[in-house]
Amino acid sequence: MLVQMKKATLYALKEDRDSILLALQRDGNVMLIPSADEAALPGAENVGNEAEKTNGAIKFITMHAGKSSFLTPRTPVAYNKFLQDTPVAADLAEQVATLEDKIGSLRNEALTMRAQAGALKPWLGLDIPLEKLAATTSTVYFAGYLPELAKDEFLEEIKELTAEAIILEEVPEGRAIVVFAHKSASADVKHFLKAHDFTDVVFPKRVGLAKEIATDLTDAAKMKESLADNLEEEVKKIAHRKEELYLYYDQLVAKQERMALSGVETQKTFFVQGWVRADKTEVVTKAVAEVTSAYDLNFVEPEEGEIPPSVMENGKFSRPYEFVTELYSRPKIGSLDPDFMMAPFHFIFFGMMLSDAGYGLVLTILLYAVLKLFKPRDSAEKLITVILFGGVSTVLWGILFGGWFGLEWRPLLFVPMKEPLKMLALCFGLGALHLVTGMCMKIYLLVKRGQVWAAIFDEVSWLVLFAGLFLMALLPGEIGRDMAIVGAGTIVLTGGREKKNVIAKFFGGLLSLYNISGYVSDLLSYSRLFALGLATGVIAMVINTIAKMLWETGPAGVVIAVFVLVGGHIFNILINVLGSFVHTSRLQYIEFFSKFYEAGGKAFVPLAIRTKYVDVTK
Amino acid sequence: MLTLGTALAFAGAAIAAAFAGVGSAIGVGIAGQAGSGVISEDPDKFGNVLVLQALPGTQGIYGLLIAFIIVLNIGVIDGNIKELSTYQGLSLLFAALPIAIGGLMSGIYQGKVAASAIYLSAKRPEETGKGIILTAMVETYAVLALLISFIMVNGVKL
Repeated sequence: MLVQMKKATLYALKEDRDSILLALQRDGNVMLIPSADEAALPGAENVGNEAEKTNGAIKFITMHAGKSSFLTPRTPVAYNKFLQDTPVAADLAEQVATLEDKIGSLRNEALTMRAQAGALKPWLGLDIPLEKLAATTSTVYFAGYLPELAKDEFLEEIKELTAEAIILEEVPEGRAIVVFAHKSASADVKHFLKAHDFTDVVFPKRVGLAKEIATDLTDAAKMKESLADNLEEEVKKIAHRKEELYLYYDQLVAKQERMALSGVETQKTFFVQGWVRADKTEVVTKAVAEVTSAYDLNFVEPEEGEIPPSVMENGKFSRPYEFVTELYSRPKIGSLDPDFMMAPFHFIFFGMMLSDAGYGLVLTILLYAVLKLFKPRDSAEKLITVILFGGVSTVLWGILFGGWFGLEWRPLLFVPMKEPLKMLALCFGLGALHLVTGMCMKIYLLVKRGQVWAAIFDEVSWLVLFAGLFLMALLPGEIGRDMAIVGAGTIVLTGGREKKNVIAKFFGGLLSLYNISGYVSDLLSYSRLFALGLATGVIAMVINTIAKMLWETGPAGVVIAVFVLVGGHIFNILINVLGSFVHTSRLQYIEFFSKFYEAGGKAFVPLAIRTKYVDVTK
Repeated sequence: MLTLGTALAFAGAAIAAAFAGVGSAIGVGIAGQAGSGVISEDPDKFGNVLVLQALPGTQGIYGLLIAFIIVLNIGVIDGNIKELSTYQGLSLLFAALPIAIGGLMSGIYQGKVAASAIYLSAKRPEETGKGIILTAMVETYAVLALLISFIMVNGVKL
């Protein structure tokens, strides 16, 4: 069901603003609407930067000290404590940020030095100190790499130019060489080298032999690295204080959100507008009244053209299925929240696709434990609950079909693998029910909007046609045929009513009868209920067969067989839960929603305490 | 003594498992390459990426499923291999074709959609669900192929 929304307008004194926003945030029932000419409160940017820094610090600590563990329950924090400033944590975040900077630059420097040392490698054999490699009054020198070198030939040729070469190691850049030449031959040598694709090398500005310099650089790099290692040890030492950063981060985010909107201001007062659920107006008024008496708060219906956010409210069973709807899109305001009708079908289809009572039991017990132990929230809680319900449904279908971990045991209904036609009939039957439900929802929507004729022409006519076709196959006599003719006739006569002239109307009507192919393909799509059930069952059988073969080979085989059984069935559960959820949801989106659903609602994001790491208790 | 029919049934089982398996391998491979790229930017997305990468893997399972049922029906598992007539064997071979070809092609294309859905989840993590649904749309045709292969295999009376 979609909840009625009201627009709240609040006038109050600026001096009360912080405490009012705090109260609203704690209450969590108002979604503030930004107006055109307002900015964030002063200081909001700083809070944002600080939050960013803290987040970085948390990430850095996690990187060096490792995650505590997957799915740790959040630490509960009392609301009063949540409001208290934590300067110690601010210092800690600063400290970690500084450490991160220092470690980063040390590692960088070390890296540069190692790269320099690496570049000197081909020159290690050079017995001239690098600072001595310079032009003298009568000689010049060239140092660099030659890509290809026929050593003897090169030495011959260079001698003819009154020059001498020292040939060193070969590296990917080419052969390292140093050439000394008489000044008079300088131009010739240059030309000669260029012809051989010579590239110059630039040495680091250091004193001494290449060998010594490389060693110095490596030593210095090692020292910087060990310094960085020490600092990392320090990070590990303060890692146990991560909890403080968690709290601090959540505090900052809450503060940032509170400061995001200032409202429209005068010298002494301000006003803000926001969306509130119609049934929560009193709670909001009370929250504001507790802070101050100098306020004016009123609630009005949304005006024409204003689109309030879509809030869904459902009973205990359908509520988790809101997640499935949200995954598609929220319902548009003024349309229908499909959850109450979708939930039972999602429940039934999921179980049919998994259809193994053993798997269902494992899933149910496991997810129930997850819900109790880790207390996930929001969409995670909804998703887990949807699959938990699916697990229960799987147990039921498993009992009906007699599937227990891939073994057959006393089916109450029939075994789908042995009677595929019965199973297909069941799938199409449930599918038809699903589609008809969707069409009925459309009829309800149209009638509610006063478009009774449209409902009769576009939806009821089809239902009559289908009912007629169904009766034709089932009952002897004319009734089925007559109904089918009435239905089809209505469709042909009214399907083209939007068209202008009579001929276009007629062909439009005929064309809309062609839509029957769409309904047929929708119906065929439900055969996946069988196919996915088949996949689960047969893969379980494969696992059992392999395990049995191994079991018969002796004691070692028994051990491996146990591994195959446990690992195989876990794999099968995982892959098929994924498949069942995705394909069940698809049947809702493509086959069911396409009949009536109007998507495009806005999300309701109230000003509230949204924490990532801690759990604020009231 | 193996008959030509039995050999043809073997061929059916082999192409069902092999072709559908190749389709899945290529699909999962394409998705995996996209996934590594995304994870290198943000390791926290591993969960989302893994789910999307796993989706094109089902064709291989469907192929194996049909292959297993053929092999089971002709008695390879319990050791008494039946002597099939040539027509029985041919029928089983044809029955394997839908999942073999459907699995091969849909696996590859599902892999491509999965890769783009992985990029989608990198840019807008909150929309991963829609990417998963888009990817699953391709799988419909592998499911249909599996179904018809199964019904045909089941229809060959030995």
